[in-house]
Amino acid sequence: MTCDQVKEHIADYLAGSLSRTEAEELDEHFARCAACQQEAAALSQTWEMLGLLEQEQPSAQLRPRFYASLEAYRQGLESAAPAPRQRRFFDFGAYGWAAALLAVGVLAGIGMDQWLGGGTRSRSELAGLQDEVHHMRQLVTLSLLEQQSASERLRGVDYAYRVDQSDTQVLSALLHAVNHDPSVNVRLAAVDALRKFASNPSVKGTLDRSLVKQDSPMVQLALIDFIVDTRDKDAIPSLTALERSSTADKNVKEKAIWGLSQLQ
Amino acid sequence: MPETRADNVLMQKVRDGDLAKMAVLFERHHRALFRYFLRLTGNREFSEDLVQDVYFRMLKYRHTYKDGNPFTSWMYQVARNAHIDGMHKRKGESPLLEERMDEPASAEPDPSEILRRRQDLGLLRRALAALPVEKREVLVLSRYQNLKYDQIADILACDVGTVKVRVYRAIKALSQIFFVLAGEKAS
Repeated sequence: MTCDQVKEHIADYLAGSLSRTEAEELDEHFARCAACQQEAAALSQTWEMLGLLEQEQPSAQLRPRFYASLEAYRQGLESAAPAPRQRRFFDFGAYGWAAALLAVGVLAGIGMDQWLGGGTRSRSELAGLQDEVHHMRQLVTLSLLEQQSASERLRGVDYAYRVDQSDTQVLSALLHAVNHDPSVNVRLAAVDALRKFASNPSVKGTLDRSLVKQDSPMVQLALIDFIVDTRDKDAIPSLTALERSSTADKNVKEKAIWGLSQLQ
Repeated sequence: MPETRADNVLMQKVRDGDLAKMAVLFERHHRALFRYFLRLTGNREFSEDLVQDVYFRMLKYRHTYKDGNPFTSWMYQVARNAHIDGMHKRKGESPLLEERMDEPASAEPDPSEILRRRQDLGLLRRALAALPVEKREVLVLSRYQNLKYDQIADILACDVGTVKVRVYRAIKALSQIFFVLAGEKAS
């Protein structure tokens, strides 16, 4: 074995994945080449030290964030395309539980009212409580969407699924996220969340215009899916522009051609 | 069933609509992914965002997962893209690796073996942080992620021989930086 061949085997030497023959040849070389032997020893020492660096753990927030996102994603898909519900075996996540507790609180409040003779209470009080719940959900969504961390903004998008489709403030925050959020993932999640608001005329128009302005091919692919699913024929000029664009991504152009074929 | 095959089956189920199975894949791999990103970026919050990003992308693009594809390689390919996009987005922001650059508590000479080792590990972290990202990545994949060289070749889209040469060059560069830093410390 030559010195150059030794270098080719160092990675296996460090990982302990040399064959017996290779190990013997390497040992023979080391016995007559002090330079290679010293280099291998030094590299081996560094390799071993790397193994001593501590194994860091993620924060306790990572898990609930993931489960909240997974649940929101699943609910988003279900609301976009109703299908038989599958058995859930994971938790709601922190915000899901908060919303559930809030709902229980509201129901308990209503029940207590009625038990205390609240039957005479007016319907406007019940409507007031419902408004309060809605207002709180809106506040949580809007506040999360303004956070600096992309994870937090994703949670805000997830939370938007719990807000009424008539909520124009959340709607405009989601549209703003699609057009301006620095994170591609937040933009993608916002496109998905906007399916809930698809009946609002401002959604289609804004997303049509967004299609040609987006710098992320992934977001453009998601927007084309949205346009086709909502049968948005007003988007045909935007799709045509994308198909003819010399700078658009190849996959996006192919998807635009497909989108046009679906709409025409 | 070996874990890797079990992962492949789980991902096939996710792809076919059983999204809840992603929770099992999260439990199996999120710590390894977090450490992968933390070794690359040195930033805990950014690393957690990237882990979320990877699972989100795997859900979003689950239909691109093909039968027989090793899940782990596919996941790290997604992770690499998430890291590249994430770094692109953070360009111009505060430099990374701020959390890995911390020195041991005391810089005073101390005869104890424990302190010497802590100082060495502090220097090693600094050396790792100073390594170009492509070298750091191949070392992280081979040393910490429990991946074989042929799996790394799949992830990096190159042949196994190239991976081995890159590992050799990376560990050599790391050793050189470490000894330079150790020399500065001693002088």
